[in-house]
Amino acid sequence: MPSQVFSVPEVKRLLEQGAQLVDVLGADEFERDHLPGAINIPLKQLDENTVAGLDRERPVLVYCNDFG
Amino acid sequence: MPGKLAWYEDNQPRDGKAVDETWIGDVADSDVPTCSLEDRVGDIRGRTAGWDACVVVGPERVVLGLLRKAELEGDPNATAERVMRTGPKTFRPNVTLEELLKSMREHDIQTNSLVTTGEGKLLGVISRADAEATLAHDQA
Repeated sequence: MPSQVFSVPEVKRLLEQGAQLVDVLGADEFERDHLPGAINIPLKQLDENTVAGLDRERPVLVYCNDFG
Repeated sequence: MPGKLAWYEDNQPRDGKAVDETWIGDVADSDVPTCSLEDRVGDIRGRTAGWDACVVVGPERVVLGLLRKAELEGDPNATAERVMRTGPKTFRPNVTLEELLKSMREHDIQTNSLVTTGEGKLLGVISRADAEATLAHDQA
């Protein structure tokens, strides 16, 4: 699946269209703050099992803390 | 997407425990006066009434330096570039008021702190007095 970096307005548009949002930061940081509607799958736990709940038919937006 | 900091820099909503916190991006004043490197102090002074600071910015409002009261009251013919304080300390918008005040006390910053994006673009300023007052109000 192709990957791409989106701007904030693009992210808002994609979320309105049903995209899924995944926060790959640690659980503590996710608990402190995250984007509304995001689910938490810490990067070190990303595998077939942890992403099984994602809908393969809809885009998935993944974010961490900062650029890069 | 570029990262959650970009989301917060755009003043978008957040979820989690932090919805109960006041972040400096929530309360920073974006109307702070700005000037360019070439502007002369005398001209800058004329348009910063009521402020004791002016932020020197480049293209896209990237922070280059800061003029405080002493510089604004100095030689009117000097350019901002010649008298500005370079490398002012800046804070990201998702810093809490408590964290900001702790840092301002540690660095003995008595006046304004600059809030910028991770790329250095100016979002606003927050004065120590306003930060102290807002935090006291939040904790009352």
